[in-house]
Amino acid sequence: MKYFLYWGCSLEGTGANFLVSLKPSCEALGMEFEEIEDWNCCGASVSYAGANDLAIKVLNARNLAIAEAHAGYDIVAPCSSCYIQMIKVNHEIQEDPQLLREVNECLAEGGLSYKGGIKVRHIQDVLYNDIGVDRIRERVVKPLHGLKVAGYVGCQSVRPYGEYDSVNKPVVQDRLIEALGAKAVPFPKKIQCCGSGIFLPEMDYCMKLVKNILEDALNHGADLISTVCPMCAMNLEMYQDRINDAYGTHFDVPIVYLTQLMAVAFGMDLKKDAALNYNVIPPEGVLQAAIG
Amino acid sequence: MENKVNYDPSFAEEVFRNVDAGDEIKMCMNCGVCAGSCPLREHMDYPPRQIFALIRAGKREEVLGSQSIMLCTSCYTCAVKCPRSIPVIDVMHGLAHYALKQGYVPRKDTAAFGGEFWKQVYRLGRIDEKDLPRRVFFSGGLIEGVRAMLNFMDIGIKLMLHRRMKLLPERKIKGIQSLRKMLDKAERLGKGGAIA
Repeated sequence: MKYFLYWGCSLEGTGANFLVSLKPSCEALGMEFEEIEDWNCCGASVSYAGANDLAIKVLNARNLAIAEAHAGYDIVAPCSSCYIQMIKVNHEIQEDPQLLREVNECLAEGGLSYKGGIKVRHIQDVLYNDIGVDRIRERVVKPLHGLKVAGYVGCQSVRPYGEYDSVNKPVVQDRLIEALGAKAVPFPKKIQCCGSGIFLPEMDYCMKLVKNILEDALNHGADLISTVCPMCAMNLEMYQDRINDAYGTHFDVPIVYLTQLMAVAFGMDLKKDAALNYNVIPPEGVLQAAIG
Repeated sequence: MENKVNYDPSFAEEVFRNVDAGDEIKMCMNCGVCAGSCPLREHMDYPPRQIFALIRAGKREEVLGSQSIMLCTSCYTCAVKCPRSIPVIDVMHGLAHYALKQGYVPRKDTAAFGGEFWKQVYRLGRIDEKDLPRRVFFSGGLIEGVRAMLNFMDIGIKLMLHRRMKLLPERKIKGIQSLRKMLDKAERLGKGGAIA
């Protein structure tokens, strides 16, 4: 199956391990990806400090319009922020023809138009509903036996629309983790916010959010935490030292992308495909122990 | 008995008219579920429920001068939990945008971060993850910038060593000129208007 992959700005930088591991692991399941030509940033969650709501919508509609004019495949957005920004414009346009007119009036300035015909999907949605856990399980050659994973869903990958999973009790990531042979530990804080895009400017407040999430995962026996969002990964992994200094804790928990776990379980190269060397807190130890 | 409480509706009307998603608060029944569900509620001077009540009470200064309108992590919990389906997050973002436009600075660092973020989107069409923090750090002056750079150097080095920092500067997208025209139009046409 063919998709547009809209990986966004972070997956070329701080979230590079997501993109590097996503391509081979998903392609091994028969997915084919195309880039949206000359795509632009989604505006993420903080652009309101510079732009009004319509401008942020038009920014996203440009990508949708380019995708629609080309092949019209579903867009897969691995970054939760990109996903929510795009799917939000789509939903609001569907509910409000006046908004669609306004968006198109702006797009026309650059010779584009959008009819609303593109579907925006999260990577978890596609893995769970298009590929399915059975096909994922069949592809596993090195099951992650005994590995206890806390599947951190975060916010924007399921909220607010709940397109493919429950907004209150999401299960999709856990089912995908289990398909890889690992154990998904119960983890009530899996939908608690990590601070997202304002972690950096509001670090004094947001560190406690991350502390609570890490603590909850460890209290439930997790060896590592998996995520599907570059902001979650950044916030959960990179600030553990600072949190330890601030709260007297001893966190040293590896944070991996779900697609990294897939690449490992599919028997792929731990560096080239699973990108484990991109992680600052090394996950190799627990993963090697699981695959033997 | 004579009603002594005289609410001034002019600020509420101003919000309905000029703030993106501002008219959504008409549906608010002040139940407080948004406040209870917010991850940063303990740091808010007025949680969303109170902000909405203050708007109805005509308390312009309290609302636009509030810090909480810019403490939104965009987690969408409030939007999901609201029994009246108010997109609380959109209202908070709209209010923060409007406050900045009126010359208020609800949260200094987040305002600088978000402002620089948008400038970069407008300039390049994409975000340069090395350049953005540098600009944010130095937006408060040279000394503050150097201090912030030193403070975050460890994280930058770790990211670089683990191949998670693009070394080359981000280039403009090919269609940047036409993107800017679209955004300029949206800034003129959109309810929230443009920040000077």
